[in-house]
Amino acid sequence: MQPETPQYAIETRDLSIFYGAFEAVKGVNLNIEKGKITAIIGPSGCGKSTLLRAFNRMNDFVPTSRVKGEILLHGVNLYGKEIDPVEVRRRLGMVFQKPNPFPKSIYENIAWGARINGFRGNMDELVEESLRGAALWDEVKDKLKQSAYALSGGQQQRLCIARTIAIQPEIILMDEPASALDPISTLRIEELMQELKKNYTILIVTHNMQQAARVSDYTAMMMLYEDTRSGTVIEFDKTDVIFTRPTDKRTEDYVTGRFG
Amino acid sequence: MAKYTYPQSQDLQNFVNARYRTAWVWQLVFLSALLIAILSLSALLLNVADGAFGYVVYEFKKDPATVSETPLAELTQPQLLALLQENLSKGAYTKLDKESPMEKRSRDELYNLLIERVIQIKIEKTYNLFDSLLHADVIRAEVAEKYPDATLEFRSWLTPAFLTTPMSSKAEFAGVRTALLGSLWLVAIAVALALPVGVGAAIYLQEYARKSFINNIIQTNINNLAGVPSIVYGMLGLAIFVRAMEAFTSGAIFGVTDSNGRTVLSAGLTMGILVLPLVIINAQEAIKAVPDSIRQAAFGVGATRWQTVWHHVLPSAMPGILTGSILAMSRAVGETAPLIIVGASTFISIDPASPFSKFTALPIQVYQWTARAQAEFHNIAAAAILVLLALLLTLNATAIFLRNRLQKRF
Amino acid sequence: MVRKTFENEIQHLKDEILVLGSMVEQATLEAVEALKKRDIRTSNRIIADDRKINQKRFTLENQVMILIATQQPMARDLRVIASILEVISELERMGDYAKGIAVINVRMGDNALLKPLIDIPRMAEKGVDMLHRALTAFVTEDLETARALPGEDDEVDMLYEQVYRELMTYVMADARTIERANWLLWAAHNLERLADRVTNICERTVFVVTGEYKETRTSFDELETPEEAEE
Repeated sequence: MQPETPQYAIETRDLSIFYGAFEAVKGVNLNIEKGKITAIIGPSGCGKSTLLRAFNRMNDFVPTSRVKGEILLHGVNLYGKEIDPVEVRRRLGMVFQKPNPFPKSIYENIAWGARINGFRGNMDELVEESLRGAALWDEVKDKLKQSAYALSGGQQQRLCIARTIAIQPEIILMDEPASALDPISTLRIEELMQELKKNYTILIVTHNMQQAARVSDYTAMMMLYEDTRSGTVIEFDKTDVIFTRPTDKRTEDYVTGRFG
Repeated sequence: MAKYTYPQSQDLQNFVNARYRTAWVWQLVFLSALLIAILSLSALLLNVADGAFGYVVYEFKKDPATVSETPLAELTQPQLLALLQENLSKGAYTKLDKESPMEKRSRDELYNLLIERVIQIKIEKTYNLFDSLLHADVIRAEVAEKYPDATLEFRSWLTPAFLTTPMSSKAEFAGVRTALLGSLWLVAIAVALALPVGVGAAIYLQEYARKSFINNIIQTNINNLAGVPSIVYGMLGLAIFVRAMEAFTSGAIFGVTDSNGRTVLSAGLTMGILVLPLVIINAQEAIKAVPDSIRQAAFGVGATRWQTVWHHVLPSAMPGILTGSILAMSRAVGETAPLIIVGASTFISIDPASPFSKFTALPIQVYQWTARAQAEFHNIAAAAILVLLALLLTLNATAIFLRNRLQKRF
Repeated sequence: MVRKTFENEIQHLKDEILVLGSMVEQATLEAVEALKKRDIRTSNRIIADDRKINQKRFTLENQVMILIATQQPMARDLRVIASILEVISELERMGDYAKGIAVINVRMGDNALLKPLIDIPRMAEKGVDMLHRALTAFVTEDLETARALPGEDDEVDMLYEQVYRELMTYVMADARTIERANWLLWAAHNLERLADRVTNICERTVFVVTGEYKETRTSFDELETPEEAEE
């Protein structure tokens, strides 16, 4: 058995994120393995979402935000001067906490992202493929022209996933994708993630430890520094290790529900 | 357990009753506030209606029977033409012919002309609606005694003809067509200026502008401008549009020679500036109300800010923007003071045909008529107010209709 | 946030383990004592009482499963819970060893003991003492004791070796004693296995505290005779 050298989809190097003078996330070094699901867990306000949003430069919209360190995609720093954030966001798709389809038809929800990114090809085919990829096709194939708002919450979230895979990103960032959904819809999303990881690298932030334990291959545990209130990754390992025998006492306390 | 107690049995009953009593008193207060509002509005409407309808006593200077043997109402166009030629002085006829060739005028126009110039109705006295309804016999007795030859007739001053006839110096022939068209021109020009500029500014402030000292000052100023008295805008319009930009607003640079800066264009631009802060604030509110999640969704699939605004934010905000804008427009329709300063003419019988025309507007007309001494002008002023109210209602109804329609799309 | 309810449940389970352990300890000592005195009535009672041990084991197992289902323990909690399952199963097997010794006494019937028992009661005492300390270490998560205890297994192994050689001398002298020698060897073997299982409990304690799986068995254990076929 040859130990395989893991292939990293994306890496961070001493990544710190500031809001004004406040260092929200401090010194994060993560190597995210390709084709795997990596979960980011941690207590509220420890900077999980901030870290996730740094990957596709969504934090750029917060006027005072600033980044130190590097995020490397194929060795290229996403915060380099010559990098266009719009292009970054196409290559790192994002699924948000609350399902947020566009106020348009189901078809348009998928087609729009493709169109603005200069998609050339058969749009109908792309829409069908993306919906199939998100395990939604059978439920909506007869009502593609209807409003996306007519779908249930779980279906809307899968539509958002379909919309994301339509622009063929390399990495899908998920920000608590199931926190607004009922348990059955949540499980469907989790099943879908297992399908998606065949083609994509997935990074997911979740409050739900059981969910992280169920779906992810790797888990990064984040925690606040007591003094500076900056969040950082205190432990990053295979998910089974984090949930059965973590090395850090704080991780232990958190996953056993004794954090506080 | 005994540390904290709550009322029990009879105490509880009394306590609950006391709470219901307080609630009931407040409910009564709110209800009376509503009643006061409804009463004042009704009083306003009744006051207007009081003037717009009622008995009128009139005499003919020349008995119609001496002019024509057949009843006037049955005369044809050529017959009317002949009668006019016969009864008007040569000079008066030529003058009328010059304004618009007599042969080409319609039968109704000629009929009105005949009544106005030849028969010459003279209104002796008008009565208000309530007097007319409540003291009809007293009125009849008074008329029979004072004006034995006069005719007493119940009349609505608001008639279809009132809408379609231009201004006249005699109340019974006067109409609001010129003023109505003037108001519509004003609104059209104001919209053309305020909507694109206002929405554009709102988009910039809401979507692009970062928080900075200068932007805060701009924002505060816009909010304050919305509360500046309209007369100040009138002076601004006078200084800028009427005087400084006269070459443009009079149409001189477009080859129009017979006007000065006091045109409907100047007034419309003034109105546009007047409602601009309102449009901006309304549009900002509408844009603010678009959930951030939609913007994030768009950015998340790699959209630029412009694509996000154009494809998602604006369509979602459109109902709100339109509602706000149309409400702003109805304010423009009702404004009087700035128009007087900018120089709305009070007596115009020629329809405004281009932005460079002289003009009048409904509120100006009302203002001018109520200032007259003759009672019958007060009656047509009331009728004009009804027209103005109807116009405002129409605009507001359009706003509601547009909002509902656009909202239903998704 | 401390998980008070959950911790109370765990504490309760640990208390119950000590109770189960004491039942096994008593059964073992009594079985050896009965064998020594050829007290068949006591042996019969021990055989009957083994059902109580089995019953308790299933009750505890059920409680553990309810805890897993309702509390979704993670990390250390998960290790504790999983180890409790393992420990109660070990205790149940130890109960079976005690019962096995009682069965031997019953089977021996009217046959006299081949020799007076000296080392076998010693083995029982040592094994039970180890078991007691091992369970205490498990309950208090005492890493030091848990690491030290398996070394003491050598003592039991040595006693077993001694019993084995002694019995061999009887068999070599008189082949007809083979059955009676075999009975005693069997009893000794059960006690040796009991001590081995004590080391398993210690391993579990180490796992709970450190999260590491570590074999602490001495090399001698590998020489054990084929697994007993009782029951």
